[in-house]
Amino acid sequence: MTMVKALNSALDNAMEKDDSIILLGEDVGIDGGVFRVTDGLLNKYGKSRVMDTPLAELGIIGFGIGMAMEGLKAIPEIQFQDFLYTGMDQIINQMAKLRYRTNGDYTLPMVLRTPYAGGVHGGPYHSQSGEVYFTHTQGLTVVTPSNPYDAKGLLLSSIELNDPVIFLEPKRSYFIKGEVPEDYYKIDLRKANVVKEGDDLTIITYGPSVPLVNNTVNKNNVNADIIDLRTLNPFDLDTILKSVKKTGKVLIVHEAPKMFGVGAELAATIAERAIDYLSAPILRVTGLDIPVPFALEDYYVPNERRIMEAVNKLLNYQ
Amino acid sequence: MIEKTDIGKEELLTGYRNLVMERFMDKKLLNASKQGFLPFYIPLMGHEAIHIGIGLALRDNDYFYPYYRDFGTVLQKGIPLDMIMSQVFSTQDDNELGRDMPDHFSFKKYNIGAVITPVAGHLTSATGIAYAYQYRKKEGSIIATFGDGATSTPDFHVAMNFAGVYNLPMVFFCENNGFAISVPTYPTENGAFDQTYEETRGQIYKKAEAYGFNGIRIDGTNFVEVYRQTRKALENAKNGPILIEAMTYRMGPHSTADDPNKYRTNTVTEGSEKDPVIASQKVLKDMGILDDKAIESINDEMDKKSTDLINKYEKEPKPDKHTILDNLYEENPWYIDEEKGDIQ
Ligand SMILES: Cc1ncc(C[n+]2csc(CCOP(=O)(O)OP(=O)(O)O)c2C)c(N)n1
Repeated sequence: MTMVKALNSALDNAMEKDDSIILLGEDVGIDGGVFRVTDGLLNKYGKSRVMDTPLAELGIIGFGIGMAMEGLKAIPEIQFQDFLYTGMDQIINQMAKLRYRTNGDYTLPMVLRTPYAGGVHGGPYHSQSGEVYFTHTQGLTVVTPSNPYDAKGLLLSSIELNDPVIFLEPKRSYFIKGEVPEDYYKIDLRKANVVKEGDDLTIITYGPSVPLVNNTVNKNNVNADIIDLRTLNPFDLDTILKSVKKTGKVLIVHEAPKMFGVGAELAATIAERAIDYLSAPILRVTGLDIPVPFALEDYYVPNERRIMEAVNKLLNYQ
Repeated sequence: MIEKTDIGKEELLTGYRNLVMERFMDKKLLNASKQGFLPFYIPLMGHEAIHIGIGLALRDNDYFYPYYRDFGTVLQKGIPLDMIMSQVFSTQDDNELGRDMPDHFSFKKYNIGAVITPVAGHLTSATGIAYAYQYRKKEGSIIATFGDGATSTPDFHVAMNFAGVYNLPMVFFCENNGFAISVPTYPTENGAFDQTYEETRGQIYKKAEAYGFNGIRIDGTNFVEVYRQTRKALENAKNGPILIEAMTYRMGPHSTADDPNKYRTNTVTEGSEKDPVIASQKVLKDMGILDDKAIESINDEMDKKSTDLINKYEKEPKPDKHTILDNLYEENPWYIDEEKGDIQ
């Protein structure tokens, strides 16, 4: 099934089990969500559990937080990550800090789902990769699946977590197909996925860039470890270090811009802990450091050519 | 409309005692902060009648989401003094372990929300809590307080809209003290505070109409009146939200970092007719519940009690420094564990 169907199946499985789960957002009810992730759930669970809300991201997020404070499990959908910023104060100041500042008097089990990154020719406001806004906010868990199987398992694990999760869905992968069980299953949120094993270099990537990296490596017969982070914060340090110590060469690929991005944190962490194992500089292939341009988006995102240039530079490094 | 607002003499007297206690505590806490025992403090003078009135109106199954100026409400609600004082002085027994500023309470088991510093940041959460009540068919209503400045924020309007759209059991309670730090609610020509609200453009309670529910304006200096109106609102909120605007005056500075002489001359001073303590005394005297002798003995009692409490808690030890890394997540990430070494 597609990633959209896998996410839908996860929500359905979870809601069937637990009547404290409430979905809310713009057009998630009758319309089933603009990408159809919540399709059919209104009919099955009714409008008190699948809520078409007023058009106010601040309200959708704040409302969900309140529900979670009072024992419900809210799963707000923000139609596009680009529109989430009016609710950013709620995410940073209420959602992320509530457990800490009350020392656990209140906890916030909730999952905020939102499609992110490019792939639909959405221009500057339907294509953003804003993951660092969340990864740099202490108290959040930031999860992003790269395929249908992971999407369902990671979403179900996120729903079971006792803390707030920002669940970033790569919209360019929404209609990728894969094997997905109908039944309930979970995936460890603190473990990265080694997609492919190899000896020459380590490629660390996540979300929307995983299929691109995978195809590039396979097509060009690159002998690389590919690590799909799955969870950006907290990321799985052990899996990364194990691979880096084996290969000594690291390439990081993500669609978000380079400067101050997730790649910077990974590179610094690797350098702090494993610089003696490195035989080449750590390289990054990322989105360009500009807003996403509508007509020429293809030049913005990482591609096979740029990845292979970096791979060859690392492999040939003396 | 339901009229379940009867209240006994004993309760009114308790309310008055807490009102006086709040006045003494406020003055002495402000003093403690000037002497360096408290790094920061938010004065309350002028708000006491509102606080006590709401505290009297709350029933166990009601939910109260306060803002940072609501000390007296938690006092009247009956939260154990030890919990309140430990929070105010950030002691090792503070249930928040000293992580948030004085009066930023969080008492979940008493149905009290976690006070948040960003103005109005709790209002959409409060409506979500009201939705949970509605969904679970729980008894009781939700009341959230905020200042007049808060009514300018997007949070206020979004929360009002959600409450109207879903017809939530929600009381929005505006403690209108005339100021958001130095900015008057509705500036008059000379920029000064204007007591004649009816003549000004701004009538906060009327904002409710646009969201499809009722708003009322009440006298916020008379705690019996605040009690009656709030209790009625909490009962009626079962049928939908309501906005209350309670009029008072912030008699003190905004916070310990503020000098009000820069931007206003006080129009309500301690002991004057509009001082909530004096206004409430008058009401209780007229009801035959209070006389001068009782006033004096309650004063003496609360004066001593407040001094003793502050002396005790300002000496209590602070939380252990190693606790600052606890409870960010249910299971903290590896990097938090590593940072333990940074605390020496
Ligand atoms: C969003 C936000 N902006 C600014 C501040 C700084 N600040 C703290 S209190 C305050 C004034 C609030 O006035 P009002 O809502 O009338 O409540 P009052 O303090 O008078 O009780 C300001 C500007 C803040 N805490 N939050």
